[in-house]
Amino acid sequence: MPSASHCFSPDDPEGTGHCPVVWPRAIILVDMNAFFASIEQRDRPEWRGRPLAITNGRQGTCIITCSYEARAYGIKTGMRLKKARALCPELIQCPARPERYAATSAAIMEGLQDVTPDIEVFSVDEAFLDVTHCQRLLGTPLRMARLAKRKVFEASGVLCSAGVSGDKTTAKFAAKLHKPDGLTVIPPWEAAARLREVPVTELCGIAEGIGGFLAQHGVRTCGEVRHLPISVLARRFGNPGRRIWYMCQGRDPEKLQCEVPAPKSIGHGKVVPPATRDRELLLTYLLHMSEKVGTRLRRHGLQAATFFIGLRTAGGWVGGKLRCALPADDGREIMALCRRVMDEIWTGQGVHQVQVTALDPVPGGNQLELFDVLDEEQREVNAVMDEINRRYGEFALAPARLLGRSSMPNVIAPAWKPYGHRQTI
Amino acid sequence: MKFTIQRETLLKPLQQVVGVVERRQTLPILGNVLLNTTKKSLKLTATDLEVELQAHATVTITETGDITLPARKLLDICRTLPEAADIDISIKNERAQIRSGKSRFTLATMPADEFPVVEKIKSGRKLAVAQNDLRALIDRTAFSMAQQDVRYYLNGLMLEADNGTLRGVATDGHRLALCEFSLDTGDTTEQQVIVPRKGVQELHRLLEDDDAEVQVEIGSNHIRITTSALRFTSKLIDGRFPDYHRVIPKGADKSLVINREMLRQALTRTSILSNEKYRGIRLDISKNNLKIQAHNPEQEEAVEEIEVAFEHEPLLIGFNVTYLLDVLGAIQSPEVEVLLSDANSSALIHAPGMNECRYVVMPMRL
Repeated sequence: MPSASHCFSPDDPEGTGHCPVVWPRAIILVDMNAFFASIEQRDRPEWRGRPLAITNGRQGTCIITCSYEARAYGIKTGMRLKKARALCPELIQCPARPERYAATSAAIMEGLQDVTPDIEVFSVDEAFLDVTHCQRLLGTPLRMARLAKRKVFEASGVLCSAGVSGDKTTAKFAAKLHKPDGLTVIPPWEAAARLREVPVTELCGIAEGIGGFLAQHGVRTCGEVRHLPISVLARRFGNPGRRIWYMCQGRDPEKLQCEVPAPKSIGHGKVVPPATRDRELLLTYLLHMSEKVGTRLRRHGLQAATFFIGLRTAGGWVGGKLRCALPADDGREIMALCRRVMDEIWTGQGVHQVQVTALDPVPGGNQLELFDVLDEEQREVNAVMDEINRRYGEFALAPARLLGRSSMPNVIAPAWKPYGHRQTI
Repeated sequence: MKFTIQRETLLKPLQQVVGVVERRQTLPILGNVLLNTTKKSLKLTATDLEVELQAHATVTITETGDITLPARKLLDICRTLPEAADIDISIKNERAQIRSGKSRFTLATMPADEFPVVEKIKSGRKLAVAQNDLRALIDRTAFSMAQQDVRYYLNGLMLEADNGTLRGVATDGHRLALCEFSLDTGDTTEQQVIVPRKGVQELHRLLEDDDAEVQVEIGSNHIRITTSALRFTSKLIDGRFPDYHRVIPKGADKSLVINREMLRQALTRTSILSNEKYRGIRLDISKNNLKIQAHNPEQEEAVEEIEVAFEHEPLLIGFNVTYLLDVLGAIQSPEVEVLLSDANSSALIHAPGMNECRYVVMPMRL
């Protein structure tokens, strides 16, 4: 590659000049550093530079994430608070504020739009940017990565690490090489060489399963994958297998998923006090979940005909998949299914958790019905309720029974997205 | 039991009844076919407890008796033996011996008295209809039946005898098909039953396209149809079919008349680029012109224009293209008339000037 080094030549170490080499593809991964903890430290200056652990409310005992200061003590995500306290007695426990994180994430994703519109929100604190088509406008990929880091900081006051390469996998690999506040560039023509000695399981998407399969074939590093016929992977894993073969050579063909794909299910669950046998209390929990699922279906114009209604007991899940006559988006109709589970399937066992999930929701309301069983009035009531709750907050207007609902805070899912059906907590 | 039968004489009735045997049964005996013999004939019966089929063969029986044999194995043996082969069947020590030329098979049996047979139909009412009329009735309506709908009474074909007319109605809640013909009978009592989906499909398979008369017997729990060679019995769906009169549009007065085959071809082409799941297309109807449009999530687009007879205010309406194609496949006439009122009301489709078959399709919101 004769002109490869030109972008990063000693004459132009910053890569700020106009790059004579346009990368055939240029992908940036932006990864926020200790995202939730960074937001808390930003909002509470007295916590800056101190070990901080985020838990789900005051009651939560599991560490969702922790600051870099806490990580220095060996504290990790998923660790129990008790164990963490043993490692670091001065650890600060901070209840999670999902709405705050969601708002910050949304602001960051909005800010990144200034770099490129081709953004895949990979998780609440990670985003891929396809800057292939911005090279003439904004300069080298390195320059755009710096711009992205600045946009993240301007939008949120939080630092991030960035990885730049010609494909998603290598960009993600690059991003984790220097943390926090890092920036690593692997030009596409160097990707294969840079990955050669890297164990395959270091790449995003290759875990023990595929790693074990490759190990059986005597392949441990990315470089060795090239010697394995692609058909071996294709036979075992299909197209994802072929993708792995390319990934390991720094040629991951995967495009950015810029649109949020239609959901396979929409569900909410909640842990109830251990071994709850109180029917009325369980009904309140189920109504709470039914209304949440109904609201969320309506917000995205979806409906579902099949729902999973589950009560987790010591002996496993009680309940199952239930169908309503027509696709529904109304909490009361979902609740009618819950009542069937309570009346017909539940036999009074102690319940630990309730779950209500709409399965295979589809954009609703397009095909008109011959026999109108839909209650037009209920539909209008729901529309008004949704509007009020959007302005005054979740359940500002709700069925009276929900006055007695659980006060356990909402949890943000890792798959949260700033728009679409995943914009929920 | 002992008899010799020619392969073809056994194969045809056996093939006719085996269709109803489920591949995996809950009761082992439902995988078997019942053989009843008299001196001059063999009767074969198969059932899945919902639909029962019985067929006959004329054959000289050396030694009469009744037994059940594994249905599919018997069929496969029979099918794979050479043409016109003679097959000897005899029962010895609860095993069936099947011999033909140098082939010998031993099959397990189960006693005939354990086989569930529907003998008499309660409070039967009898009608005589031409076989091809009944076949046409199913042909023109059955496609609109629901499939595994929670509204179980939609998963079948409603048959109605009413004032000297036999009428079939099927609907899945989005579209409805109605077809009727008059009966040569003085009996004007009203009766309405729902035949389950599987029964309708089996019956359609068995009816032939000739005008031979068949007996239809309608009871409170069963319907039985007897032809010269076959007896079909099906349980009925115990439910109330929705009031279909209410959904046949009365006020649809905007008439669109169009060549059926031209419309069918245009819709077939357009459907290629409609959303694979929702199958929506839009009809843009103006004076004597119909524009059909479809697009898919990849923003690919299909447009067709056809000359039609339409003399009303322009109308834009969406439909599931599959529903329209199904209707066009069921209508026989060279032209069809579509009666519309507005974009949110159902369309009535029929052959111009004929009311025996009527189809109602609800639109899709655009």
